[in-house]
This record gives sequence, C-alpha cells and structure tokens, in this order.
Amino acid sequence: MARKLTINDYKTNVWVDWCPGCGNFGILSAMYQAFADLQLDPEKTVVVSGIGCSGKISHFINVSGVHTLHGRSLPYAEGIKLANPDLTVVVNVGDGDLLGIGAAHFVALGRRNVDLVVIMHNNTVYGLTKGQASPTLARGFQPKALPKPNLQDAVNPIGLAIASGYTFIARGYAARVQHLKELIKKAIQHKGSAFIEVLQPCVTYDNIHTYDYYNKRVYDLQEEGWDPIVKSPEEFPQKAAQALIKSYEGDGRIPIGIFLVNPHVPTFEERYAQRLPNYLKVPPAKEPIEVDGKTMITMRRFKELFGKYIIEFKQ
Amino acid sequence: MNELRYILGGPQGGGLETLSELLSWAYAHAGYGVISDREYFSNIKGRHSYVHATVSAVELPRHLTYPVDIVAAMDAETVFTHFDDLRDGGYIIYNSDDDNVSFTSIPSMERDLRERLTSEFKELGVDGTVKSVVKYLQSNRKVRVVGLSFKELLMEIERREGIVPSQASRYISTILAGAVAAITGINEEDLDYSLKRRFVREDLYRHNRAMANIVIEAVKGQFGSELKLDKPSVKVSGVLVASGNDVIATAKIVAGVRFQAYYPITPAADESFTLEEYEALGGEGSIVVFQTEDELAAINAAIGAALTGARSSVATSGPGFDLMVEGLGWAGQNEVPVVVTYYQRGGPSTGQPTRGGQSDLLSSVFASHGEYPRIVLASGDHEEAFYDAIDAFNYAETYQVPVIHLVDKFLANTIATIPLPNLDGIRIVRGNLAPKGLTEYKRFDLSSVISPRAFLGDYVMWYSGDEHDEYGHIDEDPINRIRMFDKRMKKLDLIEKEIPEERRYSYFGSERPDIVIVGWGFVKGVALKAIEELSGEGIKASYYHIRMFIPFPRESITKIAGEVGVDKLVAVEHNYQAQASRLVAMNTGITVGKSVVKYTGRPIYVHELVNAIKNIMRGSVREVLSYGA
Ligand SMILES: Cc1ncc(C[n+]2csc(CCOP(=O)(O)OP(=O)(O)O)c2C)c(N)n1
Ligand code: SF4
Ligand SMILES: [Mg+2]
Repeated sequence: MARKLTINDYKTNVWVDWCPGCGNFGILSAMYQAFADLQLDPEKTVVVSGIGCSGKISHFINVSGVHTLHGRSLPYAEGIKLANPDLTVVVNVGDGDLLGIGAAHFVALGRRNVDLVVIMHNNTVYGLTKGQASPTLARGFQPKALPKPNLQDAVNPIGLAIASGYTFIARGYAARVQHLKELIKKAIQHKGSAFIEVLQPCVTYDNIHTYDYYNKRVYDLQEEGWDPIVKSPEEFPQKAAQALIKSYEGDGRIPIGIFLVNPHVPTFEERYAQRLPNYLKVPPAKEPIEVDGKTMITMRRFKELFGKYIIEFKQ
Repeated sequence: MNELRYILGGPQGGGLETLSELLSWAYAHAGYGVISDREYFSNIKGRHSYVHATVSAVELPRHLTYPVDIVAAMDAETVFTHFDDLRDGGYIIYNSDDDNVSFTSIPSMERDLRERLTSEFKELGVDGTVKSVVKYLQSNRKVRVVGLSFKELLMEIERREGIVPSQASRYISTILAGAVAAITGINEEDLDYSLKRRFVREDLYRHNRAMANIVIEAVKGQFGSELKLDKPSVKVSGVLVASGNDVIATAKIVAGVRFQAYYPITPAADESFTLEEYEALGGEGSIVVFQTEDELAAINAAIGAALTGARSSVATSGPGFDLMVEGLGWAGQNEVPVVVTYYQRGGPSTGQPTRGGQSDLLSSVFASHGEYPRIVLASGDHEEAFYDAIDAFNYAETYQVPVIHLVDKFLANTIATIPLPNLDGIRIVRGNLAPKGLTEYKRFDLSSVISPRAFLGDYVMWYSGDEHDEYGHIDEDPINRIRMFDKRMKKLDLIEKEIPEERRYSYFGSERPDIVIVGWGFVKGVALKAIEELSGEGIKASYYHIRMFIPFPRESITKIAGEVGVDKLVAVEHNYQAQASRLVAMNTGITVGKSVVKYTGRPIYVHELVNAIKNIMRGSVREVLSYGA
C-alpha cells in the first residue's frame, strides 16, 4: 500500500441505519480507528457478521464484508480463515446470535483457537426483532419491550469464553471508544481466538442498561493492576480461575479490560500445518488445481496416490 | 459357471469386513468383476450383519440377486437368517460347534424374525436348532453342508503357530475365506495377494496363511472346487476396487477439492476420513478436512471457504442435510459454488440410519425457503459417481450455484470393481473469474447473468443473505429486487441451455420396448440386469436412467413417452412415493402411473424386479418389494 490509510478510507458510503445514540456507533468508531492504526489492507481483511442490528456493521466498513446468517458467523469465519490463513478475519455478532442460536459454534471455536477476533455486541436484547430478552439478560429484569419479567438466567459470556478455551478474552464498553480500540488492536494482533464482549447500550429497547448505568459501574481491570497474561502453561488453571471470578463481578462494579491472555496454545492453523507441510506457505485457496483446464492429477499421480485401491492386469 | 453369488454373515464387529475384503480382493486380483454390498444394523458390536456379493467372469457387475450359491456363516444367527437365501444345491459353510444352538436362544435376533421363523420352522418340520436347519437344507434342498468345528480349527492353529488362545478368534474370518476359496477354486496366488494386502504384519500374514491352508486342504479334500468360475473374460487394463465413499473421495481430489467440512454421520463420514488420509496430497498440497460441531457449521464453513476460492464441499446424509438447508439458501442468494455430497439413507428422522434409500430426492430438489437456482445430480453406480463428483464442482463454479450430488447408502458401502478412470478427458472448469487489477469490483455485477467471481483477498467485496445491490450491500428497492432476482433465476435458463440433454439421462435396451423402467441412482445396476433377463425371456424391456434432476431431461422422457406410450413406463425406486415420477409429472406433465418400489432399506434385487415387471405387464400398477434380511 502506497498511501497511509485514514479512518475515512475505512468508511463506506452506506448509510448507518442504527437508532441515533445506539452503542453500536461506538463499536464501529473503535473499529475504524483500530483498522487505521493497524493499516489493515482492506482487500486482505474480512469482517464477518451475523443477523441483528449488530450484523449490519459489515456494510459500513470498507474492507470485505460477509453478512451471514443468524447464529452462523463463526463457521463462515472459520471456513474463510482456514482456507486462506493470510486473511485477517474479524467477526461482529449480537449476543443473541452468539450465545443463543449460535452457542455451539462459540464453544467449538474456543477449542480450536483459530486466529480470529470475535466482537460480541452485548445489548441484553434481540435488537432487530424489537427487544426480546437475549441470553445475557439477567432473570427478573424487564426491559421495556418485554411483557413480563425475564424468566431465564443470564449466561456469563466471559466465563464461557474461559471455559471454552479462548486465548484472548476481554470486555469493552461502547462509550469508551479509545479503550475499545486498543482492545480490538490487541485482539487482532493476538495469535489465536480472541473474544471481546462489548457492553452496548440499546437506547431503544434496553431502558435498564443505559449509558448512565454503565458509566456508574465500569472500571478498568488493568488500571486496578490485573495482569491477564498466563506466564506458563502450568500457571493457566490458576489464572483462568482468577479471571473467572472477575467475570462474575457485576452488580456494583463491572470490570472492563483484558481478563485473560494465554499465548501457550497453538492456533488451529498451526495444528493443520503440523500435518500439512505446505499449508502456511500456500493457502489451500491459492493452490492451483488445474493446468490448461485439465486436472493436476495425472494418471501416474493417481496411481501413486491411490495405489491401494488399484489392481492392474498384465496385458 | 460365469457368475457366483454369496452371503457372508456374522455379528457386527466380528471380522466380517475382513472376510469380505479377503474374498473381494482375491477375485478382483484374479480378474473377476465383484460387487459386494454390506448390510448392517446401527450397532457397533453384536447385531447381525452380512455381505451379499456377485462375482462375475464376464462383466464388472452392478447387480445383486437371490438365491445365492454360498452362505458362509460365522454364527448361528446367520444360518437362521439366511438359510432360505440359498439355491438348491448350494453350499452352506457354518460352525458345527453351533449344531445344538436354537434360534430361540439368540438374544440379538429381532422379535419379528423370531416370530416368522417360528411359524416357518413349524411348517418345514424343523426343530429350530442349527443342526435341524442344516439337515433340512441337505435333504430337501440338496444343499452341500460344510460343517467346520471352529474350535478344533482354532486349537490347531494355536498349536501349529503358537498363537495365544485369546487371539485365536481373530482367525474366524480366514477360516471362512479359506472355505469359500476352496469351494470356488480361488488360485493360491490370488488368495495370497489379498492375505498379504490385508495382513501387512508379517506374523499375522503367516498365521492367517496357515489357517487358510488348513481349511482349504480339509474342504477341498471333501468337496472339491465345484463352484469354480470360468476363466475371466472381463476386458479392462486395471480396476479400482473401492467403496462408493472412497470412489467419491478420490474423485474430489482429482477435481481439486481444497476444503471439506463434515459432521460424522452414516453413511457419509467415511468419505471425509478417506479425504483426510490424503489431505497432504503426498506432500504437494493441502486439503483442509474440517470436523465441525454440527452440520450447521459444516455447510456454512464450506461456504466461507468457497468464498476464498477453494473448491469446497460437505458430505452428509438426511438428518445433516436438513440442518444445512438454511446455509444452502445463503449460498443460493450469494451465488456461491459449494458442493453437497448427499448420501441418502432410510428416513424420516433417524429412520434406518444404516440402511439405504432414495427418499430424499424431493427434499434435495425443493428444500429451502425462497427461490434460487441449484443443480441436482444423481449417480447410478460407482463409475458415474466418480465423474459426477467432478462435474459437481465444475457446474458449481460455472454457474455459481450450490450443487447437490445425490448418492445413497447402497453405493457408499458397496465395494465394486470399476475400470480405472480415464483422467485425460477430465476438465477443471472454474467459470467466469474476475481479472486482476480492476479499479472497481462489483461482486454481483448485473451486466451478465454470471458475474465475474473474485475471491476474498483479491478485492474488497460484500456478501449478504439480505437482498443486495451489485456491490453486495443490502438493498430493498423493488426494481433492484427484480433485477437481482432475475439475474439469479436466469441461471436456470442458462443451465437449461448449456447442459445438454444427453448429459441428463441414459437410455439402455430395446428401442421398441414393451416396457420402460424409469429409474435413477442405485436402481441402475439392477435395472440393467433385469432388462437383460427379461429380454432373455422374450420381453423387450429398456431402462431410462435419470442422471440429473435439475436440469431435468424433459425432452427425452417426453419423446419416449410419446413413442412407446405412457402406459409402458414404470417407475422403479427405493422410496414409497416413486418420487422421481412426481418430478417427471412436474417437469413434463407426463404421469407415470405404475411403480415398483422398495422401502425396506435393502436394495432391489434382480429376481424380484424381474418378477415385479412381469406383474406390472399383467396389469398391476404398484408392486412393493421386500426381499432381503
Ligand atoms: C434462524 C433465524 N431465526 C430468527 C431470526 C430472526 N432474528 C433476526 S435478528 C434476531 C435477533 C438479533 O439479536 P442479537 O443477535 O442479539 O443482535 P442485535 O440485533 O441485538 O444486535 C432474530 C431472532 C433469523 N434471522 N433467523
Ligand atoms: S434497536 Fe437497539 S441495538 Fe438496534 S439499532 Fe436501535 S438502539 Fe441499536
Ligand atoms: Mg443483542
């Protein structure tokens, strides 16, 4: 890239159709800034998103965007990344998307440690379907669209990420854009599956978790001296347990910042590379599969590869 | 004799596959054609499973039929389950230690069969022990009885080769292989070839060779080699001996697959295992074989991979396909080339997970909300499956549509000899690709029906399951909607125009038939044999084989129906509704009113099809087949 890219280069001309004041604006702004700071090549960067208010975000960023299905962003992102590990892949998903309909994929990604960033827009509601309870809404709460108080307990996203094996786990707040930007940059630079939960006020449907509510409660883990880095594989269980305790803080004070970074786990790509010597040199997506429109597998090659299925007769 | 048929039976997990392999490879090595179907329960150990095979000296067979020449039984349950499958004068090979075992004492036998046997044995005047059944076969059916005491044979091999008794039971496969080899006169060299192939470890080979020798000597001495096949006259330079799963895996590699996602399901999973075995392409490339958390992930990951330019596919069966349908729609909406290899099994729901069927045709043609183009291919045998698997990727990329390649459990688990594929003619067609260096790229450019495709990483582009504009951004404008919708759907016209009618069907047999079998998929093998037998009896029969459902072979079926008369068409399918005949009606207005169907989960056999066709010709409109354990 010849010219330095500015924030404006990362903007599309698609009108951003979120409700005025929506927390998603803060997240979008942090992403523009993080991408510009890192000078991400727009052609080599893919934002994958789900279905929901949050899911529209891929249309607003001037890098490749894949606006997928409700709940299925992670499989799309994994397919993209595993077929072409040269791409930088960032996923934006709603809390309903990731922890409701797509929860199996969330757990599975942690087990794999694919080099991806997952940004979850936690607004405690299903925004785009008009405010029903999401899996992060606590029992007994009744944001304004709900006819009755919520009967189901909230899942602990950070706790679930820890248990699933994510190797970079953080929480940001949509109104602290600079802080969130830094989290996103670190997450992109981290090698492995990174999860960022973002507290995202939904000004239209969540009259409980307002900016005011969060402003009074959030505090920065790092400012209070929490060191999230796992120093050795042996230290992991203890560090994870402490991070888990922090993830349960919530009533009076809500921690933001980095909960856990575990650099001791090989990425999924590295695991494949152990078995596939060319994998990280030539991405599968870039391998030639034909010469002049013909298969690369000649008859001789076919016989070499599949000899165990073949019987040839003496003529 | 130029054709040999046998049943090998035993408890699931008891070495039946080894037995079947030993024989198939020995016959194939000798130059015979083999087809070997495996029937089994959804169970890992203990339930009755069996192999049903045809070996031919004159062709590479694709058909199975009854009665058989040999039943080789590892256990008593096999004797009870299959004694009636034997022809008069056939051979039963069994364990004489089981002589006093009664069918009432076999816990793995299903109640239904036990009840049927109770009345049958009563009628035959048989007391229900193995001994009594064998005796009945001998005296009433002239069956030759090869009773071998497995215990004594195993003791002898223990003694001769110094094997520990706990290991001895592993040699039961070889006992039966030896006995079948003796009776059918398999050459020393050919049996040796398959023993070496199967038992790579030298000591194991030695022990098994010794076991086989003991049995061959004993059996040959007493019975000779009466079922020796004629010298093979199959004219091929070489064969592949492989299951449908393996054939499709090799074809995908020839086609250049670079990403396969799957969630384990019978009978599809073995294909992915085989691909994984070859994932590094002998060190020359990488195929990502990705075991996902479910089929929702499998299809969507495969679509993601396809967006990067990797040839990408999934392999699944009914329950998995059901979960994939939403993803398929996304691929349709976003014009993504992705291949679904669909191994049908018995549905609905879990249905008959290890049995075969063709009941997902309508689902694969119609499943999904909304409307979008797709291509549906169906393979009739291993050889077709090889070339279809390659075509599936070519069509997917040429038309930028999802392609469903329909096969089934019968094909998946049947081991067959097929001619070595001809790779010279194989084309890899990647379709309309965007040139490098454009200043602006629109993924859904409306200036042509097939927009030039670029891969993620080449340009900035957007995709969306929402209706979108040329750039891929959400767009609900009514005029844009019409344009985009039309562009997608016009691909069907293009497909209709470009894929020739001859590619969509095959026609076999008489040009002026008295009866035309209309079938697809695994029906092909049995139908071809049936029309041959019928013509031997003076009935002019033909087989119209549907190879593609989208695009549909409209013209040819219309022409044939016009020429011979609709009343001479009979649908033959492994499902209840004769689903293909419904698609014939939908596509042509022609109502095929007669059908022969089978939905027991077992394949259609030649003898029952021949019989059913005759009944149809005598005026029956529906025949429901049921033969087979
Ligand atoms: C399979 C399926 N079920 C339901 C929907 C309807 N739907 C659209 S958005 C949405 C919820 C979105 O909530 P969330 O994921 O939290 O995103 P938000 O809108 O809050 O950002 C639902 C249920 C759908 N699109 N697909
Ligand atoms: S409904 Fe809520 S989450 Fe959706 S755009 Fe409006 S404020 Fe944002
Ligand atoms: Mg939400």
